[in-house]
Order: sequence, then structure tokens, then C-alpha cells
Amino acid sequence: MNNTYVGTVFGAIHSLLTGLKVTMKEFFTPKVTEQYPENRSTLHISERHRAQLYMPTDEEGNNRCIACGLCQAACPNGTISITTTTVTDSETGKSRKVLAEYHYDLGSCTFCQLCVNACPKEAIKFNNKFENAVFDRNKLMLKLNK
Amino acid sequence: MDITFIDKKDVRTTLRKMREGGMDFLRELIGMDWGEEGLGVIYILENSCTHEVAHLAVRTTERQRPALPTVCDMWKIAELYEREVYDFYGIHFTGHPDMRRLFLRNDWEGFPLRKDYDASEAINPIRLTSEPPEDLQRSYEIEEDKEFAAIAKRENFMHFDEYVINIGPQHPATHGVLRFRLALAGEEIRKIDIHCGYIHRGIEKLCESKTYPQLLAFTDRLDYLSAHQNRHALCMCIEKAMGLEITPRAQYIRTIMDELQRIDSHLLMLSCAAMDLGALTAFIYGFRDREKVLDIFEEVTGGRLIQNYNIIGGVQADITAGWEVKVKDYCTYQLDKIKEFEDLFVKSIITKNRMTGVGVLTREEAISYGATGCTGRAAGWACDVRKRHPYALYGEVDFKEVLHTHGDSYDRVLMRIDEIKQAVHIIRQLIDNIPAGEYKQKTKPIIKLPEGRFSASVEGSRGEFGVFIESHGDKNPYRVKFRPMGLPLIASMHKILKGCKIADLITIGATLDYVIPDIDR
Amino acid sequence: MDFSTITTAIDNLLRTYMPEQAVILAECLLIALCLVLAYVLFAIVMIFMERKVCAAFQCRVGPMRVGYWGLLQVFADVFKMLIKEIISIKRSDHILYSLAPYIVVMSSVLTFSCLPFARGLQALDFNIGVFFLMAASSFGVLGILLAGWSSNNKFSMIGAMRSGGQMISYELSVGLCMLTMVVLGGTMQISAIVESQLDGWFIFKGHIPACIAFVIYLIAGNAETNRAPFDLPEAESELTAGYHTEYSGMHFGFFYVAEFMNVFIVSAIASTLFLGGWAPLYIPGLNAVNAVMGYIPGIVWMLGKTFFVIWLLMWIRWTFPRLRIDQVLVLEWQYLVPIGLVNLLLMTICVVMGWTF
Repeated sequence: MNNTYVGTVFGAIHSLLTGLKVTMKEFFTPKVTEQYPENRSTLHISERHRAQLYMPTDEEGNNRCIACGLCQAACPNGTISITTTTVTDSETGKSRKVLAEYHYDLGSCTFCQLCVNACPKEAIKFNNKFENAVFDRNKLMLKLNK
Repeated sequence: MDITFIDKKDVRTTLRKMREGGMDFLRELIGMDWGEEGLGVIYILENSCTHEVAHLAVRTTERQRPALPTVCDMWKIAELYEREVYDFYGIHFTGHPDMRRLFLRNDWEGFPLRKDYDASEAINPIRLTSEPPEDLQRSYEIEEDKEFAAIAKRENFMHFDEYVINIGPQHPATHGVLRFRLALAGEEIRKIDIHCGYIHRGIEKLCESKTYPQLLAFTDRLDYLSAHQNRHALCMCIEKAMGLEITPRAQYIRTIMDELQRIDSHLLMLSCAAMDLGALTAFIYGFRDREKVLDIFEEVTGGRLIQNYNIIGGVQADITAGWEVKVKDYCTYQLDKIKEFEDLFVKSIITKNRMTGVGVLTREEAISYGATGCTGRAAGWACDVRKRHPYALYGEVDFKEVLHTHGDSYDRVLMRIDEIKQAVHIIRQLIDNIPAGEYKQKTKPIIKLPEGRFSASVEGSRGEFGVFIESHGDKNPYRVKFRPMGLPLIASMHKILKGCKIADLITIGATLDYVIPDIDR
Repeated sequence: MDFSTITTAIDNLLRTYMPEQAVILAECLLIALCLVLAYVLFAIVMIFMERKVCAAFQCRVGPMRVGYWGLLQVFADVFKMLIKEIISIKRSDHILYSLAPYIVVMSSVLTFSCLPFARGLQALDFNIGVFFLMAASSFGVLGILLAGWSSNNKFSMIGAMRSGGQMISYELSVGLCMLTMVVLGGTMQISAIVESQLDGWFIFKGHIPACIAFVIYLIAGNAETNRAPFDLPEAESELTAGYHTEYSGMHFGFFYVAEFMNVFIVSAIASTLFLGGWAPLYIPGLNAVNAVMGYIPGIVWMLGKTFFVIWLLMWIRWTFPRLRIDQVLVLEWQYLVPIGLVNLLLMTICVVMGWTF
């Protein structure tokens, strides 16, 4: 039956009708489109989503960075650059390096997390603030420490 | 991994003997530059029935005009592999019918993966002109009593009076920047010439100057639809070299992630095949379902496409609370939706007519081209790495290696549907039994591998993905080679496209499911 | 309601002020203006409908940004298209290249003018109306062939050749289906065909052969308009955009609009020949229902049926994958034409034996 002329015609019509049935069912099911800027309040972005690097601070605004430079060394494409100054501790008299400026180029970051993994003090982290579009590339050159 | 060095003169006889002895799968052909010891090639052969593996190497101390004999008459895939080696190391393969560059421009100076390569911009500036077309196929033969091979034959590939069209590099159906030059007779394809390299990033060269943890950043960007699996292979290779045993919890998570990634990739392949055939609605349905996998990924890994999840010694972060429930719900949902997709697209008479008998690759051809993954299994070749050389938990879970027999486009689509079902089956066995414990092992900040050569391979979403590392004991690898899944697939297009119609090119391209960044590493 | 009373009134009004020739000229211009306006109006409705219906089939919501519920989206698109540059291609055949879109639009407007929207609301109506319709609709393929040929682009050329092979083949099936209905109606005048459906639509009167003809007509009509699953001439995954790859701005717009309007025309013809055109639903025996149906104006009936058929075509379009060129021809020559011929015979037998309602 299936190989005859008539059989082929009916077999074909059956398979096509099955397809039509599927689309007809979906025609009436609720739609899945998310209308982005309007749905900001209900938008779920995973906590772990990597959108940009930041330095968590404590209540007094101090970060945990010890300016060891491991993150800078770990970065495969030179996204991080650190400048340091040397300060002398007034009590012990020893001099040590502290962080002067922590520069981070969001534009060339590949979000590979190697810097976060390399950090011995958990001084840097990724947050999920993903709305990073800007009109000027220079605005992507961020200074992380305040 | 132990390598037997063979003499240059005996290469063909030794390899032919091995080929006849059942070593019919040329898994990798790796170009090498050992500096003082010369340039050379490593062959990794495998017996497709017993899965026995052999590593052979050959080298020549000549650097100016190095020549080695070709093996492309024994393994079809060697044709493109040897062109790649020629491109990067400048080794001429005598007897090869078509010694052109594969990835780089024809006017490129030097051979970039050689250790003495000068990368200065003065030699190879960014060229703003179009590539001079080179249709000249050259082949080389050994001259009497000489080391170097002389040009034996030149012939034009495309002739002036042929109706030549370019599919790509910008074309909606090449899934990336790949370029086919086709000579047509009406709608029929007479000749095909494949140009790769439009997005080659030189990752293998880059790897040689990076530390081992830094290598991890690259693998997700090869075949972005096998991101987890690629990185799994690299981590496995490094862990094997370090002698690091990873925890059962990490093994479970890695296996589940690999399978989720496989579902993700196969869904994308099915949807894109539908789109290439003009069924846009099926495409959207597939992508709607794929979003759910990506949501699951994002929840745990923080990334949707580039996940950065595997690290040396385990995984980046532990799974979140309640994630298992989401995965289980998704599995149920997906099984339901895949049926809908089958009704709408796969079982449709139009799809069947478009795909049945189109692009047939037989089992022998698949092995000869090294076309692993769903393409090989659709042809009846049991080439699943998960079964051949079990890794992670694949030795313990129960799953079937689905095989089809026709090797045509339709079987390749059915393979994907079956594999999605098998992946769900695997995930369901593991998801409730994830053991407690650490999700990663502590590693030193600076990792040095012992001297030697290491390799590992996994079953990626579209074939066997292999990593080969040669270490000289430094914190940087001496040579890293990734076995591309896509290169064998497009190599086999040379064979299966002849006599097809233009519309079949699209069908075949869609069902072979190559990903360009994986070909252009 | 008979629209001919209005048109006669306008005619008389003009005749009181103008000489004979001027009246004819003025009426021609007036009709042309009305036709083009209606053409554009329907095109806009169609494009919007296509987007929303397609979105609904695909689990999406479609355009939502421009205007409430995306209502102004089409106007934004038209505006964008109007301000775009019309690029002339080097080494193309300039005259034919610019002529092609107009030929396509002309063919489609000419066919459009044959449609009966209500009693008396029809621009062209004469005794071989169906013939004229077929002739007018079939020279659109000329424009497509010219577009592909003159663009000096290999993709366009392949697309044009495909569409040539396809459209000319499928004209046959369309013609056979129309002939089947002409046999049933016994006339080629479109208004008369509709009149004879006042006591029952042809699809009910002609029962089995009419149903078969309807299905074949929908398939062939889809192929005639180059829509999926028969969109090979412009198969975007193979030929980027087929014959109109090189066109930009409003020249592209003409192809686009003509394609949409051809769908409208195919559907309108389907509703005229099979579903009674502007004739209301008539069920023998239920006089009360028939009287209520009779109060609904003819133009509502006509547009309602037409848009229903359009929706059917969209449903088909957004469900199936595309065929390959040889399969398209096999479908036509091995299946549709033989079935159509047998069906024509069947209809003739039915009519001769009086087996129709």
C-alpha cells in the first residue's frame, strides 16, 4: 500500500497534517517572548552571571586587595593593570606595597574568571549587572578601587 | 604516551602495513617542530574494531626545504591534515595531489608554528587587498638522490569556462565564515573547493606562550557548542599529566554537564537544519527549548555559551541548591518537546524527501575521513569515545551507542534525536546520586607538567575532540594540538557533494553540523 | 446592496459636466486611483497580518514597539524603504533592471482589478474574465526572470531560472482548477460565477471534485506566489535572496509588496471560485438563517473569506520545510497535473449527469 501511487499521496497528506496539527496547537498556547526593557522588574539573571569585575568593600569602604599582582599575571589578554605605591607603616616602620589604582578594561575582558581564581584574598568578584552598553569605548576602562 | 620514531624512508611501508593490519582510523596527524632534532609529524592511529592505539612519528632535520612522504592515499583525511601541517610548518608532502595552504593566505610569508618563526608585522603586515586567487594545485615528487621534493605537477582547479559561485564566507547557510567555491552545471555541483581560515586565531600557537591554567580560556572558544566537553578534555589531559585524581562529585557534575551540552548542541543542530530547509517555525521551537538548557547552565556556571566551568582539579563552583530539580523538570519537558519537533519536522514527508539518500557517507569512507560523532555513527561506525575509551563516569552509567546504517542526511538527523534521548537517560541516572564531597582539588598557583607527551580525548557534540600536549617541563606547554571535530566533516564533503544539487549542499552542511571556530582553531 | 447604483450615479454626475471622452478619461483615472489605494491598503494589512500570524505560530508576539501592539510597524518599514537609496549595479542591464519590478507590480495590479469585492464593485468584468485573470497573472514571471537576468549576479540568475521553471509549471494546475470550476459554473464571467453561487457555494455544490480542486488550487497558488514551501526562487538559505538579491529601496519594495498582494489575489480568487465570493452563506431550507446572512454586506463576506484563505496559506507557510527544485517539479507533473486532469473529468461527468447540488 505504502509504495503505490495512491499510498504515497495519502502517506504524504497524513505526515503534512501531523505537522499542521503541531503548529495549530502552538498557535493557541501562551507565547514565550520576553519583552526586555519592560520586564526589567521580573527579569531573572543568575547570581553567578559574569558581567563585570568589581571589588567588594566592607562597611568602611576598604577593599581586600594586597596588590600582589597575581590577577594581572593570570589574565590571558592583559585586561587588568595595577599600579602600586609604597607606604611606610607608622607603627612598625616597615614599608609595604599598597594598591594605588586598579584598572580594568571591560572591553577586552573575556570573563574567563582566571583573575578571580588567582586572587588569594577574594578581593575581586564578578557581578551580574549586565547592562554594559556605552557609546564611548573609554567608558569601558574602569577603575575598580575607590 | 610512548612514541615510536620511524625512519623517513620506511614511513610509507610501515604505515601501509599498519593500515592493512586494521589501523584504519587516522585519529590525528600532528605537525611538530622539535628545534634541533628537526621538523616532523606524529601519527596517532587507531583500530576501528579493537580500539588499539598506536603512536608513530617521523622527522627530518632539513629546515630549508623539508619533505616527508604523504599518507593521504591510505587515509583520506590526511589530505587536509597534511595541508594544515604544510601551512604551519612548511613540510612538503611528496605525492600529495594538492599542496596548497589550508588556513593562511596564499601570500603569507613563513610558517607560523615553527619555533623560529618571526611574527613581526613588517614581514606579514595586515593586508588590505584581497587574497590573490590561487587555483593552482601543486604536487611534489622526490627528485633522484635529493632530500627535497621538486614540483611535479601543476594544474588548474577551476577553469575559466565554468559557472563558479561562492557560497560564503558571508552566506546564511554556512553557519560561520567558511567559503565553498562551487563549479555548477545548472543546479548540479561539479567541483568543490573549500577555503577555511577566515577566523583562524592561531590558538595552538597562542597556547605555547600561556600557562596551563590560561589555556583553559581558549577551549570554550573552539567549538562553542561543545564548550564543556572541550574543556573537559583539556582538564583531563592536564590532570593525567599531573597525576591528579579528581573527586567523585566533580566527576558527576562534569558528566552531567557534558550531556546537557550535548542536548544543547544537538537541539541547535536540529533547529538549524530545519531553518536551512526553510522550516523557520521548527527552528524557533528548537531554540525555545534550547533556551531552557542555557538557563540551567547559567544558573550554575554563570555563562550561557562560554561557561568556563571545568578547571584543573574539578569544577569552578558547586551546583546550586535546587538545581537538580530544575534539570529533572527540564528532562521531562524536553522529551515531550522533542516529540513535537519530530512530528513537525523530522517525520514530515518533505524533510524525508529532502534528506533520504542525500549525502551518503559509507562506513569505510567515514573511517577513512575520520568523520566521528553522529556522522560516523549514522554510517554504522561505532566511534563513540564514551564507549571506546570510557572517561569520567561513562564506564559506569548505562546508555546505548545508537547506530544507523544508511549514512545519509536523514540518518544523521535521527542520530541527534536518539542521542538527545540517550543524554536524558544518562542525566536521569546521575542527577539524584551526586555524591557529597569537594567539587575541586586544590592546585598550586603555578602548574608545571612533567616532561613528556600527553593526550586525552572526549566525545564532543559532533565527534571526537582530542587534546595533545607535549611538555618540556616548563610552566608553558611546548606544543598543544587540538583535534578538530569539524575538519574531517568538511573534508568528507569533497566526497559526498559531487553530483548533488545546491539545495543538497545546504542539507548536507546542516546535517554534518560543523562549527567553524573548531575548524579554524 | 448594489454598488453599481453608486458608480452609475458618479458616471451620470460627470457626464453632466464633461464631454464623453473626458468622462472616460476621468473615470479611468479615478478607478486607477481607487485600485492603487486599495492595493496598498491591503498590502499593509497583509504585511502586518503575516507578522502577527507568523509570530503566533512560532510562540512569539511579533512586533510590539511601533505604535500600540506594533500597529504602526508597517508604516515605519515603508518609510524606511522609501528613504533608502536605489542602488544601480555595475555591469547590469540598466533598462531591464529597473523595468523588472514594475512588470511584477503591473501584473499583480492588473489581476487585482479583476476581483469582485461586492455586487457591482469590480473594475474589470467581461465574458472571458477567468481567461483574462490567468493571462494577467502569468506575465509576472517575466518580471522575475528579467530581474534575475539583468542583475548580473549568479545567485539571482539561479533564482530566476528556478522561478521560471516553477511558476510556468504551476500555472497549469491553477488553470486546471479554475477550469474545473468554470465547468461547474458554466461561465467565464466572474460576476456571473459569483451570482450563480448565491444559492450555495461551489465548494458545496461541486462536493468531492470541488474540494479536490480547492486543495490543488491552494498548493499551486502557493507555488505561484513563491511562498514557502515553494520559496525556492528566493530560498534565503541557499541563494540569499534569489532574484531580488541586488535590489534595494523601493525597487525591492515593489517585489515585496507584489509578493504579498499575489497571496491576497490568490486567496481572493479562491474565495471567488470556491467559497462564493461576496455571496453570503446559503443553506437550503434554513430561510431564517439565510435572511440574517443576507443582511451582512457582500464586501464583508468577500474580505472575510479572503482573509480566511490567507490565514490558511500562512498556516501552511509557517509549518513546512522547503522542497527541492526537482521535487517541486515532480509534485506538479507527477501528482498535481494528473490528479487535476482526472478531477476535471470527474467534474464534467458530475455536471453532465446532474450530480451536483
